[in-house]
Amino acid sequence: MKIPALLKFVLLVVIAYLVFKAPALLMGKPIPASLAGVYLFFTVVVILLVMTSTDKGVSELTGPIYRVSFEPGLRPIRNVIVVALPIIAVAITYFSIAGGEVSSVKLRTAHPAPPETFAAYGKRVKTEKLTNPYRALEESDPRVFERAVKDGGKVYFKNCFFCHGAKLDGAGHYARALKNPLPQPFKGQDTIAQLSEAYLFWRITTGGPGLPAESAPWDSSMPAWESILSEDEIWKVILFVYDYTGNRPRSWE
Amino acid sequence: MKLYRKIILLAALLMASLSLALSGGSATAAGPESGKAIYVKRCAWCHGEDGAGDGPASEYLNPPPRDFTEVSYKYKSTPSEEMVPTDEDLLKVIRGRDFGNGEGHGAGWTASMPGFGDIVSDDDARKLIEYIKYISDITDEEVPASISLEGRIPSSEESIRTGKELFLAKDRCTECHGKLGRGDGRKRLKDDLGYRTWPRNLTKGFSFRGGNKPEDIYTRVTVGIPGTQMPSFADPASKRRLTEEERWHVANYVASLNKPYKKPGDFTAIHAIYLDGPLPGGPLDEGWSRAPYTSLHLFPQIIMETRLFTPSLDTLSVKAVYNEDALMILLEWDDRTLSDPDDKVSREIAGGAHYPDALAVEFPMANPSTGKSSTPPFFGEGDLEHQVNIWYWRGTEGVTEESGGGEVKLYNAAGITKRKERKPEMAGVTARGVYKDGTWRVVMKRPLRTDNPDTVIQFDATTTLPVAFALWDGSNLERGSKHVLTSWHKISFKQNSGYGRLIWPAVAGGFIIILELVWLRSGTDDRKTNDPLHKKP
Repeated sequence: MKIPALLKFVLLVVIAYLVFKAPALLMGKPIPASLAGVYLFFTVVVILLVMTSTDKGVSELTGPIYRVSFEPGLRPIRNVIVVALPIIAVAITYFSIAGGEVSSVKLRTAHPAPPETFAAYGKRVKTEKLTNPYRALEESDPRVFERAVKDGGKVYFKNCFFCHGAKLDGAGHYARALKNPLPQPFKGQDTIAQLSEAYLFWRITTGGPGLPAESAPWDSSMPAWESILSEDEIWKVILFVYDYTGNRPRSWE
Repeated sequence: MKLYRKIILLAALLMASLSLALSGGSATAAGPESGKAIYVKRCAWCHGEDGAGDGPASEYLNPPPRDFTEVSYKYKSTPSEEMVPTDEDLLKVIRGRDFGNGEGHGAGWTASMPGFGDIVSDDDARKLIEYIKYISDITDEEVPASISLEGRIPSSEESIRTGKELFLAKDRCTECHGKLGRGDGRKRLKDDLGYRTWPRNLTKGFSFRGGNKPEDIYTRVTVGIPGTQMPSFADPASKRRLTEEERWHVANYVASLNKPYKKPGDFTAIHAIYLDGPLPGGPLDEGWSRAPYTSLHLFPQIIMETRLFTPSLDTLSVKAVYNEDALMILLEWDDRTLSDPDDKVSREIAGGAHYPDALAVEFPMANPSTGKSSTPPFFGEGDLEHQVNIWYWRGTEGVTEESGGGEVKLYNAAGITKRKERKPEMAGVTARGVYKDGTWRVVMKRPLRTDNPDTVIQFDATTTLPVAFALWDGSNLERGSKHVLTSWHKISFKQNSGYGRLIWPAVAGGFIIILELVWLRSGTDDRKTNDPLHKKP
């Protein structure tokens, strides 16, 4: 049996839509809506190009629409469509507004460019020159290194895990009160794995108040830890977040 | 000589079997050891290296992490006289996704322990269970059967009514959970190790740590919560004992107490509803029923010293209404005590001296150049460049009267240390609060516009208004920097009642009709109908 061209077109678009939706439905990892929109647009364009490459193809595809528009015998269908379309449009618009306005999530840069220098513990430090004093021990003295990681864990679980989570996934037990922005997760490859230890040191010491304007410092609940933790504790907690998540810090190349 | 060798052989045999018995057999000996590595990596931070509930995080958690050496597992399904939980009970808590209200969290939505189901496989969880049982020294204990749920009585109006009578009778549940189940009983609670605990607020189903379905509640009522003062109501020795059937009625009643509006949503704006006429007269006025609740999470102030790690308040529900003249907001939250220093129950709950309950509502201050607030200040009392207005209210006098009471103050702040008190009259801020049956309802009101735009924000009903909140529970010894709060939320003004929301649907409908007219007209157009691709019918 031959599938009518218009139905074929609709089916192909639905299948394409489902393919782009599948990662979200099956794995819980959605393709960003804007990206999925672009993919779908090009897919539709290609389908149309192929289906309308001949005059026969065009008439097959547009035939049903043409007939509904002009054939006297199809007037009842035409009337139903004329009445139904505005009603559907009104209903969709009404319910999408009545569903309650959701405060828009502001665009903010989660990881702004670090400054060239910043002040911490009474000195001005060059971000580029900053290194974790414990990192070298990883090879030279693994046992001392391991102890430093463990100390870092203690700092983490006395100060950070309330928001950043016992699983380092940014979902601590107070995180749900901090929706905009959510606390950063450390597990996974898209946060600390992309950053240097110096960057983390800058973010931890200066906290929310040290963020540049594009990162909406007014919304951040991250304290400036300089006033609560020692320099040593911060370097150790940095060791811990990399060690626990199996990530490696980026180095300046 | 032969006898001598025989004795040696016998001794060796005895020694061997003894050591085998002590190690608990080779099969189980491997179990605890393989679980230990996972335990040290994932669990020891709270539950401690030796499982005594004394990890580095323990002193910052309330309730504290389980002490496995005490063998008091809170969320178990075995009869109350048995200490040993089933492996499934432990698996449920470790995975965290089996509870009806779990949302990825181990023992309920508000517990500090997350569910580990996403990073610990079921196989590893079983190894962990072996290790935890080894710490508790119950590896060789026989595992009792879970209590039966066979006698389940489906919820019905009659069952709920019977459950309510049993709930109230003999002060059975009310002593701790309060008359309306808001956790506002008269008893100061502590767990077996002496740590302070709070009775569950039964109107917040999402916060039930052992699940909020009737069968979960039935299990809690039957088994109790070991290690806490929640007893088993199946205990034959108890004066408040309930039969199996009665426990199902109570479970159905407790499940019916849930108020879904108290569960905070995601990113939801507070909708200020336009009233064509007078605003509600007070906190208990019927007029408030026209505005919807928006519930928000509260988190304890852990940003700067002195920090609060043991909060007692978790959510705040807000309503807002406005008319041509003024904006009025209602703040409603469940608080277990009135926190009146002269009140005996408050003193008992606080365990001595305490402070009045208090509330603060914060708005960014007007930006003099635009009259609007484009860049919000830091949510914690503003910053040097951006000031905030703070409306502060304290539950001092008259708060048990129907019309409400308390004292109101007005501040401008440019950071925590730069706070300046102003006269509330200069902005026309008024506030009144009522405490009744474990719930505070406070209304605050201010004219939309004031005479001094340089020092107070002007409300403009065509924009959204950033707002943040803070609460102090005086009987939890909260004052100063020790309190719970929210970050910025938004009040969105719903335009003049019904008609505003019809504009966009009307535009959409009209647009489609215009397109249709074009379409229908084309049917009469000769050039189009002579389309060579479509033969004219």
